[in-house]
Formats: sequence, structure tokens, C-alpha cells
Amino acid sequence: MIPFIILAVIAIAGALGVILGRQPVHSALALVGNILALAVLYLLLSAEFLAVAQVIVYAGAIMVLFLFVVTLLTAGKEEGEPPEELGGQRWWAGIFAVGVGVVLAILAVTHPGSAVNTGIPSNFGTIDGLGHLLWGSDFLYLMAVAIMLLTAAVGVLVLNRPMKKSRVSRPGREEA
Amino acid sequence: MIQIILLIVKVILLLLILMGGFAYTMLAERRFLGFFQLRLGPNRVGPMGLFQPLADAVKMMLKEDLMPLRADPVVYRLAPVFSLLAALSVDAVIPFGAPIHIFGQTVNLDIANPGIGLLIAFAFSSLGIYGIVLGGWASQNKYSLLGGIRASAQMISYELAMGLSVLGVLMMAGTANLENIVLAQRAQGWFFLPQIIPFLIYFTTAIAETNRTPFDLPEAESELVAGYHTEYSGIRFAMFVMAEYINMITVSGLAVTLFFGGWLGPSFLPPIIWFFIKIAIVLFVFIWIRATFPRFRYDKLMSFGWKVLLPISFIYFLGTAAFVSGIL
Repeated sequence: MIPFIILAVIAIAGALGVILGRQPVHSALALVGNILALAVLYLLLSAEFLAVAQVIVYAGAIMVLFLFVVTLLTAGKEEGEPPEELGGQRWWAGIFAVGVGVVLAILAVTHPGSAVNTGIPSNFGTIDGLGHLLWGSDFLYLMAVAIMLLTAAVGVLVLNRPMKKSRVSRPGREEA
Repeated sequence: MIQIILLIVKVILLLLILMGGFAYTMLAERRFLGFFQLRLGPNRVGPMGLFQPLADAVKMMLKEDLMPLRADPVVYRLAPVFSLLAALSVDAVIPFGAPIHIFGQTVNLDIANPGIGLLIAFAFSSLGIYGIVLGGWASQNKYSLLGGIRASAQMISYELAMGLSVLGVLMMAGTANLENIVLAQRAQGWFFLPQIIPFLIYFTTAIAETNRTPFDLPEAESELVAGYHTEYSGIRFAMFVMAEYINMITVSGLAVTLFFGGWLGPSFLPPIIWFFIKIAIVLFVFIWIRATFPRFRYDKLMSFGWKVLLPISFIYFLGTAAFVSGIL
């Protein structure tokens, strides 16, 4: 219980840091802290492969790409710029977040997963166990996610395809 | 109780080995570079310059710790710590030798021996980028920023090929536990023979991951002063250098563990000595390459990673999968 409380505090502090940080890089760092705390929480739940995948994929790759963009955009930016106008969106976002959290908590208590009664299988969370799930019973979902990601990749290719000669209006565009 | 004491002793020993390894890898590099370039290299402090690392350490610790006025103070101080932390923690899962028996206890020569050791090593090493990116950003200096950004793009690109290149070993051994991977090589022979192309790709990407020549674009002195560590001085600069050399030792240790049978070797030397000898050979190749190759151009570096290394390692990975599963 004590490790859980410590990790939960770190995770929540990280999450708050993301939305309260004035400097985008600080927000990104807070999110990294949040992701790492979640990874250790997964470890406590004996989902070791998921924990490592969380660190490799989110902390090691996605957040680095985030930082790549954020550091490029905020380099040399002054502190005193006026905040952007969001209207009442901050409040609405907070209300919806709390609402979704409460609904999820209620659902988790009233409809516990079958593993709560039956106990987890012995190979739960290992590469072996997760592999059997992904390539066995959950294969359809895996393929759905794969197609979704493929769509994104194709989208990037289409957006970045070289312009046709006839559509180039400005001279010298080819060199760009 | 004795387990806890053993663990603490092992952690301290590992730190000492890594720090000593860092100091003398650096000295060896400077001496070898000297020989490669037909000059002497540092040979004044102690016999054959062997006390040079001590002199360097004293110098680094006594130097003034500078910080640019516009730098982000927290991130600026955090970045080198993060770099060194990530570099040191990877070695916790690498087995340095066969389990030994002392005081009636069986002692594994690693800090931890998790079932997914290989993946944990990759997870920690993927965190090492943060030190470089954040150090480059926090300095608020254009050269540093460019170095940090180059580092993030380069390391992410090469990490993919690196991950794919070790999957073949993982499939052949049937486990991600590093100790079992070594033991599998006792039965099947060292994996560098059937996995020669993945090994070459692993080694190339390892050089890129540690930002060494010819992939040292993040700190290319002719373009970026010193890249991400331009503004750092004293002990914080030393931490970045330590992280780089310890990363070198780590990727060499992983290369030896995955492809060259880890601590395995003829029995006239103890296993841990074999492990160190193999690491030393790999480190020498690192230095040799630094003395031999010129630096890549940045766009060439990117297209080499994405259009050459990644496809080749993916094809070899599919081939290994077909072979291991018995389709071929």
C-alpha cells in the first residue's frame, strides 16, 4: 500500500505539473515523471512487460519527439507573453476530467474484471503471457490498432508527397 | 539480511568498476589516439600516464561551475544528472560473470536478473536522451539547442534499428533474460555467427547511440562548438563525459552478452575476466573507428539510419523469425 501511495502522489504531481507548468519544457518533463510513475505502478501490478513498454515507447520515444518539437518552438521565447484566450475552456476541461474519472471509478468498482475473482494466470504480464493474448484471443484488436497506425503513416506520406511540377506556382520550389 | 548486504556490496562494486572503467577507457582512448596519429598522448602523470585520470578528476572538481545567465536553472542542473543516472542504471541487469559461491551463498554477478532484462536495459538507455536534449535546451544557446535537437532525432532514429537488430538474438535464445541468453549461447554457439548482419547493425547503431565518431553530430566541433555541452564546465561537464564513456562500456557489455557469449570462454581464466577481455576488445574497436572515420553529413546520417539500417535489420528479423519458427 505504501509504494502505491508514493507512486500515486508522484503520478498526480506529474499530471498537475503538466497543466500548471508555465514553460512547455517543464510540462513535458512533468509528463515524463508521470509516465515513469505509472510504469512502476504497472510493475507493482506484476505487468512487467507493459511497464517496460511504457518506458520504451512513451518515455523513450514519444516524449522525446515532444521535446524535439517543444524545444525548437520555445527556444529564446520571452516569459512575459500574454496567455492565449481560452474562454471558459479550462473550467469545462476540469469538470469533464473529474466527471470521467468518477464514472470510471464507479464502473471499476461495480463491474470488476474476471481476474479479481479467478486470480491472474501464472504467466500474466510476461512477454509470453502478453504475446499469447495479443496473437491469440485479442488478435482482432491488435490488427485494428495496426491498421489505424498504418493510416496515420500513410497520411504523413500523402501530406509530405512531392508537389507535381504543374502545381508548383513559385519558381525555385524544387530546391526546397 | 546477508542478501541485502550482498546487494549493497555489489552495487558499490559495480559503481567502482564503471567509474574506473570510465577513467581508464578515456585514458586508453587518448593514448591510442596518440599512437594512431603518430604522437605520444598523455604520458607525463605517473608511469606511462597511468595517473592522468586522477589529475583530470581533481581538475574537473576544482573548476568553476558556470551557468549562463539566461539558462533555465533547474533543468540546466538536472540534465547531466539524468544523463549519468540513465547510463549507470543500464548496467544493473548485465551479468558480469557466472554465478559464484562464497560464504555458502550463490551470488549472481549482476544487481538484478529480471525475466525481461534485455528490455529493461533498452528502457533505461532510451532515457539517456533526456540529459542531452534538456542540457541543450536549458543552456539557451543556439549551438547547444541544435546539438540537443540533433541528438534526439539521431538517437530515436537509430534506436529503432538497434531494437530490431537484437530481436533475432531474443528469438534464437527464446528468452529476454540476459543470463539465459548467455547460457543459450553455451548450447547453440555464439550468436554473432548466425546473426552477423544484426551484429554489425547493432554495433553501428551503438556508436550512433553513444554519439561517437563518425556519428558525433550532436557535438560536432566544426559546426556546433561542442553541441549540447558547450556551456557546461567543471563537474557537470565531467558528468556528461562520464555518461558518454559509461554508455560505451554498457553497449559493449550488451554486445558481448548478446553476440559473443557473455562471460563464456575456456576455463583457464575465470568467467568475469573473459567478460572484461571481450569488453576491452569491443572498446578498442570503438576507439579505432574514432581514429579512422570522418564524420557523417547530417542528412546522410538520417537517410543511412532510416533507408539502410532499418530495412536490413527488419528483413533479417523476419528471416530469423521464419527460421526459428521452423517455416524455412
